[in-house]
Amino acid sequence: MHIVVTGMGIVSPIGTGIDPFWKNAVAGTNGIISIQSFDASKQRSRIAGEVTGFDPASFLSAKQIEQTDRFTQLALHAASQAMADAGSLESYEPRRLAVSLGSGMGGFSTFESSAARRLQNKSVPPFTVPRIMANSAAAWIATKYGLKGVNLTTSTACSSAANAIGMALDLLRSGKADAVVTGGAEACVLPLTMAGFEALFALSTGFNNDPAHASRPFAKGRDGFVMGEGAGILVLEREDAALKRGAKIYAQLAGYGCACDATHIVAPDIDGQAAAMQTAIEDAGMTPAQVDYINAHATSTPIGDVIETKAIKQLFGERAPEIPISATKSMIGHSIGASAAIGSIAAIMTLQTGTIHPTINLSEADPECDLNYTPNTAAQKKVQTALCNAFGFGGNNASIVFTTL
Amino acid sequence: MDTADLEAKVIEFIASKVENVDASTITAASKFEELGFDSMDTVQLLFDAEDAFGVTFDGEEVKNLRTVGDIITYISEHPPKGK
Repeated sequence: MHIVVTGMGIVSPIGTGIDPFWKNAVAGTNGIISIQSFDASKQRSRIAGEVTGFDPASFLSAKQIEQTDRFTQLALHAASQAMADAGSLESYEPRRLAVSLGSGMGGFSTFESSAARRLQNKSVPPFTVPRIMANSAAAWIATKYGLKGVNLTTSTACSSAANAIGMALDLLRSGKADAVVTGGAEACVLPLTMAGFEALFALSTGFNNDPAHASRPFAKGRDGFVMGEGAGILVLEREDAALKRGAKIYAQLAGYGCACDATHIVAPDIDGQAAAMQTAIEDAGMTPAQVDYINAHATSTPIGDVIETKAIKQLFGERAPEIPISATKSMIGHSIGASAAIGSIAAIMTLQTGTIHPTINLSEADPECDLNYTPNTAAQKKVQTALCNAFGFGGNNASIVFTTL
Repeated sequence: MDTADLEAKVIEFIASKVENVDASTITAASKFEELGFDSMDTVQLLFDAEDAFGVTFDGEEVKNLRTVGDIITYISEHPPKGK
């Protein structure tokens, strides 16, 4: 049984819509800017991969806007693109249509603004809770499109979307759903959330005056990740049913693996990451020798990029330097629970087009990062098997495998 | 602000919140449900009114506010402090 991708949608700092996103990704376009959405002068990290010019009023009513957090609005926009792209799902029973979405923080924009009001003894908005709850985006997508089957939200920090896509794969394989709208959404370019990551020394603080060079996975002088935001949505179905309804097929979702480090709440671990990749490849019925592209987790933290490099070497051995790798976050920053959905879309477009987008800001690599990261310029290669990595706090490592059919 | 001014301002505020209702039909006697607000919408409306008019509706009294006129009366009986 093949599970296939039949629709895609994206909202990202370098483009809303698959075509603009991919064109900018291939061109190596920077999406990191000085924060515009709030006064960031008191933050240690004052830059982000912000989605600018996003107007929820262009597709939601005033009432819907009042009842939704920004992460849900980003998810709804990406979902509208993916549903239009997939075409009519009317051939399926509504109870067989599922949603499996990832978000690391949920409606934290609402959390922060409502908490600020409460601390000033002001009333809090009545939709505070339904806006904050992590399953808000999944519920709104279901409501908008009448998707009455399983409705799941995965919240595993930075790997949320990868696990959500993995759960979607399991729902389709096990016959619990006929089509699944899946992916992830995040909107936490926010003062409190960023202060929390700053307190962990996880964010870049040395490039506030040079945002275009701040997100530099694998490069010398990287000093932390750059907060990002966005949403990526995929529509998944079984191949036979998709062909029967005349859908176009982008790629096969062939495998998913998840492994917990079970060592530390935030520090990454080579064995856990290698295990997630290996499990995903085995789940696809393949061997590491068949993987010919890796969309790396690669957040631009000093330790994370080295550990991922070592995990890739541990699993792929002598072949590791031959496998082209790229870091989507070099252009858009780290959109936490949306990042693996966006990385998946990049991996699928690589399968589709034979173009590997570059890792930008990589003129000089860290000596400990010595693989082929597709520095600065896109590469052409016919790719048949792409691996997408997502490694989150909690030692939560998830990988997914996409293949051509 | 005299009562007529307040009534005009509250009606103008309600008119900015309705969907699919002819704003010119809104009067002090209009019930929230007649204007398309369900119970949750009404709670949201009253929350927005707090910010717009600088008042705080008592948590229990909110349940007794059913018409546009009820908001006008509440605000006139609980004028914003310091304004």
